[in-house]
Amino acid sequence: MNHRIVYLIGLVSLGPFAAPALAAPDGKALFAANCAACHQPEGQGITGAFPALANNKFVVGDPKAVAATLLNGRGGMPAFRDSLKDDELAATLSFVRANWGNKALAIPAQTFATVRTGKVKTDRPMPVH
Amino acid sequence: MRGNGMTITRRAFLERLSAVGGTTLLLMGLEAFGMGIASAQTAPPPLQGGGAGKKVIILGAGVAGLTSAYELGKAGYDVTIIEARAFAGGRSQTARKGFQLTELGGETQTCNFDEGQYINHGPWRIPFHHQSTLHYVREFGVEVELFNNDNDNSYMYFTKGSGPLANKPIRKAEIAADMRGHSAEIFSKLVQGGALDKQFDASDREQFLEYLTAEGYLKGGAHAYAGSEGRGWIVKPGAGLVGGEESKPYALTDLLHSQAWKVLSSVSDWDQQRTMFQPKGGMYMLPMGFVNKGGIGSKIRYATVVEKIRQNGKGVQISVVDGSGQRSVVTGDYCICTIPLSVLKSIDTGFSAPFKAAMNGCAYAPVGKIGLQMKRRFWEEDHWIYGGHVYTDQSEIGSISLPSTEWLGKKGVLLGYYQFMADAAKVSALSPADRAKFAVEFGQKVFPAYAESFESAFSVAWHRVQYNLGGWGMWSEEARARDYPVLLKPEGRVYLAGEHLSHIGGWQAGGIESAWMQIDALHKRASTTA
Repeated sequence: MNHRIVYLIGLVSLGPFAAPALAAPDGKALFAANCAACHQPEGQGITGAFPALANNKFVVGDPKAVAATLLNGRGGMPAFRDSLKDDELAATLSFVRANWGNKALAIPAQTFATVRTGKVKTDRPMPVH
Repeated sequence: MRGNGMTITRRAFLERLSAVGGTTLLLMGLEAFGMGIASAQTAPPPLQGGGAGKKVIILGAGVAGLTSAYELGKAGYDVTIIEARAFAGGRSQTARKGFQLTELGGETQTCNFDEGQYINHGPWRIPFHHQSTLHYVREFGVEVELFNNDNDNSYMYFTKGSGPLANKPIRKAEIAADMRGHSAEIFSKLVQGGALDKQFDASDREQFLEYLTAEGYLKGGAHAYAGSEGRGWIVKPGAGLVGGEESKPYALTDLLHSQAWKVLSSVSDWDQQRTMFQPKGGMYMLPMGFVNKGGIGSKIRYATVVEKIRQNGKGVQISVVDGSGQRSVVTGDYCICTIPLSVLKSIDTGFSAPFKAAMNGCAYAPVGKIGLQMKRRFWEEDHWIYGGHVYTDQSEIGSISLPSTEWLGKKGVLLGYYQFMADAAKVSALSPADRAKFAVEFGQKVFPAYAESFESAFSVAWHRVQYNLGGWGMWSEEARARDYPVLLKPEGRVYLAGEHLSHIGGWQAGGIESAWMQIDALHKRASTTA
């Protein structure tokens, strides 16, 4: 039973941390709420545990590759495809690409919309223990 | 397996097995088809011939490492466990008064629960079919009590739906009775109207109607659902003239719109079914069984961190640093490494490139839990809910779970949230105090006495816990096929073990059975080579 619940609610989750519907998404605030617990408040990461986003070549590289990582997750990083909308993801990533030694163009929400329709990782219910 | 001219059907195969070998062979056949009745193994492998003093270095004193040490030690191997923490158990932890945790990038939390109060912030329940875990419960005489994993009288609180039943606590028994009652009535009317006349003869039709009537508590010739006493009472039956007044069903559309029906399925998933157990006094009592009764305590080098793994044709060399900063090299014939892959991939292992690549195929789940000590067991006293879970679709909370210990006692520690993945990442960004505030604010919506009863909290975000970096390993179907088999084979003289190398991921049984598998393989090799 638990499996199914977690799976279903994952699809509709927006949650109390999401930005208000009408305000322009605040990349800095979204980063603090969704990413900073691991990547740390200044993007400095923690050696051996969480990669630094400051001065990060991957982050400022191919927009589609970074967008795919946010949407689908990687290693210990969760997928954010269900919890954040495209404009929120774009604001978050654009903030990271413009701070802490990173200098790269902002990424539009459209990039996430495009990557989202690409290859989707198999959606499987989250096992609960 | 598809049946055609050449291949035997699964059913036919099983029937034949049953005919020649009786039930035992039939069950073995079921196991072969992955239809087994239990986690695969129920007892440790017999390590015949003994270890003849060969030395095995075991990395990690979680249940996989403890199992390896205990069984290999019994067989005559010389075992040493290297454990990064100052205590054994790995994720099988219990937070009680004085227990400390400092998450990476976080402040130090010291558990301030009253004496005797605790939260299992790691594994917390043992399903009846995890016979491997229960094997050691028996072996070490760990006292257990029932863990209530399902409670008809508990509330569901669904927020994403609409209508009169959304955003309010509804008893699970009411939802179950009404959804099944309404559905049975509709089905019954369809059958009476002849919808299944082609499929059923008159006798089948009558039997099916009989089933629907019983299933849905349908009444009268119209087979109508009008509630059942099982969903509860407005006035409960009592003494004298109090005969009781049955509650009235909710409207089907109100139930549908609330989305609370999402808690229902015909049966629970396999690993969530009753019966479940928990050790009395906390899950930590299970590793303590190995350490104390199993005599493993003297084999563990605590607060000792692995820095480097090297090996050659003759043995393994593990470079470690202990709590005082002293560096040394521990040598042995073989190594069993139970360090989570999330942590191991940052250690200088000297493993081959393909083996390292396979390690990266396993993702680790961000997971968060919080224990909230309440000064009064209001869920029992005011709501008559004894254990079980309050499920919600607010995924940053997931569930509130009521303790299955100290029933009818004074205080209690409940689980205030249990969330995963992106939700866990979000909640873990909050300070411990804000996590508690967040959990209490939600709980207040379900139980009026929640906030006023709250005393203290202890929370964990497993992805931020050093030496774990995640709640459990997760394999995509692709990585399970491509990478997982690579890691089941030894890398030279190093064998990996842990829940991540099982199909019972995230459960202690996965760690134990993975250890059984690897010590069996190690022993066979050690017995046939000098």
